[in-house]
Amino acid sequence: MKISKNTPLDFVIDKLTNSIENTYTGEVFDTEIVRMTLSDLKIIKKTDWQFDWGKEIKDTTKEVYKLSTTNNPIIIQGLLSIEDKQDHIFMHLIESSKFNKGKDKVYLGVPGNLVAFACKVSVDKGYEGFLAFDAKSALIKHYQETLHATHFRGLRMFIETNAALRLISRYFKS
Amino acid sequence: MALIREPKNVDFTVQSKPWTEEELRDFRKLMNELKAKNAKRKRSTSTTSKKVVV
Repeated sequence: MKISKNTPLDFVIDKLTNSIENTYTGEVFDTEIVRMTLSDLKIIKKTDWQFDWGKEIKDTTKEVYKLSTTNNPIIIQGLLSIEDKQDHIFMHLIESSKFNKGKDKVYLGVPGNLVAFACKVSVDKGYEGFLAFDAKSALIKHYQETLHATHFRGLRMFIETNAALRLISRYFKS
Repeated sequence: MALIREPKNVDFTVQSKPWTEEELRDFRKLMNELKAKNAKRKRSTSTTSKKVVV
């Protein structure tokens, strides 16, 4: 996938190599991220999710993406809701599927994958990877350490260009 | 490939609330400063890497 010529970064991503790891076997599975549309509403069971993803999909200011393994695209591993703020991407929601939560989660790496994808969207749109979001207070340090996110103020955080490129390079082969 | 493996007891969930106009204004100011710094760094790197032909 090539970044448009008018982006200020010399950064070309040509192949998706996202993956998640089975916590029990250590096996790594390639993943794909696909945008969800209104026709996908029926595959989201409200009781399976903490957030109201139907509302997110219906909101035309937002883009919702699902992450699944390439060998089993029907099973959703995690969901992401983002908004194009014209000079950066705002991350509204991230949620792993219920079997990827808690100490018995099946796969590791779902949220990291989705954040890296949001950064890639920011780069593709020419926003130099800038991604803004809120964190739970207990997770601010965790995001600083794992995502190299910057603490802005209160619960507000953002990912800047260098951190975004680092994340993208972990998940996308250039 | 180095995956980001969240600890098993940590659920990485994001639920952002809308940022206020003031927060957005301050964030954009900082973001533009960082973007300008990156552009400057990029320019100086590309300038220094140019071959000088005499």
